[in-house]
Amino acid sequence: MAVIEVTNLNLTYRVLMNRTGSIKELFKETIKGRTRITNYVALADVSFTVNKGEVVAILGRNGAGKSTLLKVLAGVLPPTKGASKVNGAIAPMIELGAGFHPEMTGTENVIFYSALLGRDVKRVKARAAEIGEWAGVSDHMGFPLRTFSSGMVARLAFSTATDEQADVLLVDEVLSVGDADFQGKSGARMDSLINSGAAVVLVSHDMVSVRKLAHRAIWLENGQVKMIGPAAAVVDAYEAG
Amino acid sequence: MLTSFVLWVVFSYVFASRLPSGQQFAPYLMAGILFNTFFNQGLLLSAESISSNGAVLTKIYVPPQIFAISAALAGLVNFFIGMIPLTIVVYISGQTLAWTMPIVLVIGICLALLVSGLGLALSIMFIRFDDTRNIVNVLLMILMYLTPVFYPISVMSPRIQAIIRWNPLTSYLEIYRWAVSNNASPHLRDWIFMFSTSLFSIWLGTTVFKKYWPRTVAML
Repeated sequence: MAVIEVTNLNLTYRVLMNRTGSIKELFKETIKGRTRITNYVALADVSFTVNKGEVVAILGRNGAGKSTLLKVLAGVLPPTKGASKVNGAIAPMIELGAGFHPEMTGTENVIFYSALLGRDVKRVKARAAEIGEWAGVSDHMGFPLRTFSSGMVARLAFSTATDEQADVLLVDEVLSVGDADFQGKSGARMDSLINSGAAVVLVSHDMVSVRKLAHRAIWLENGQVKMIGPAAAVVDAYEAG
Repeated sequence: MLTSFVLWVVFSYVFASRLPSGQQFAPYLMAGILFNTFFNQGLLLSAESISSNGAVLTKIYVPPQIFAISAALAGLVNFFIGMIPLTIVVYISGQTLAWTMPIVLVIGICLALLVSGLGLALSIMFIRFDDTRNIVNVLLMILMYLTPVFYPISVMSPRIQAIIRWNPLTSYLEIYRWAVSNNASPHLRDWIFMFSTSLFSIWLGTTVFKKYWPRTVAML
């Protein structure tokens, strides 16, 4: 069953010609009759599906549209044309710790972050201590987040984001969280999420982990799909060209 | 609170004698300031909330309207808390609370609708243009002088009074002062102004926001 269906997806950014977008500038440009907005095509005619329990990697150079594609899947950016349909709960790990607030304590952040993800706050409250323990920061859960080291923040964020079973995980270069010990632990948790049926869309420049984790890969170039197929084959082609 | 005190000392010499008999300047001024704070700060916070939370909105899908509306609700809570010092001032100045007090709830909700509607519409501008804030600040200042926040309407010339009466905020404020301690005399038209502008504002805000948000989100 397809969990993610993307059909003829197009996304165009409107880019301002001058650096600043101000009403003053708008006024000046309107009087002079110049257009100040150009369209930048970030994604053109992208179509693919992702099935239950499948890991799909998105490859491509910087600026190829990988992160844009993830944001469309997360529902953050509305597509200009075409459609992207995701059936089920999404756990976006586009940037770990987005929505974390430095002045709130660890526990408060876990609850707030889960609320942003649309989870049941009551259930999370009960699980907060466990989430902290899994991240290995239970001693610090009562302190403001600014006293955490960056590794601790990332671990807590990972622990929170993966605490509940999601149908779709959107991952942007966050596989290398924490020390070697925690990496093993987080890898195991990802595996168990995948085994219980979660689909994963993953953006990475690390070809070794793509080969290891992904079943299929999509190669994006200038917003277009250049190649789509079994991970190993696409990675070979990508590394060759 | 301190600002209220300074304004009270300064303006009570100038305006106190111009109020109709039975009305007191201290609660008149304090109600004006509470009202003005809710409107100004609520509007700015609400308009800014979406651009300042852009980092979250581009990573996790959250209905963006929540931020603008919650900023307006925070202003509403402050407005209600402000009723406590206002009540004290009412009694110190020798007035009593009117039985119409509970109407403040309705006024607060109407104001919150007005603020969140305008805030939503402005939030799009705040994301697109960096200098919106400066312009809005100037407009808010003009609007404050066109609202009888710290002067009685009667001190103005009849022509200016007519302009001030057309400002919907005047209607909100008149009803508010009347509801708290009978410190003003609103007309039917003030009630119509209040309800129609608050409903129109929330309709306008949500419609404008829905229309422009898809094109604006990428600019965050």
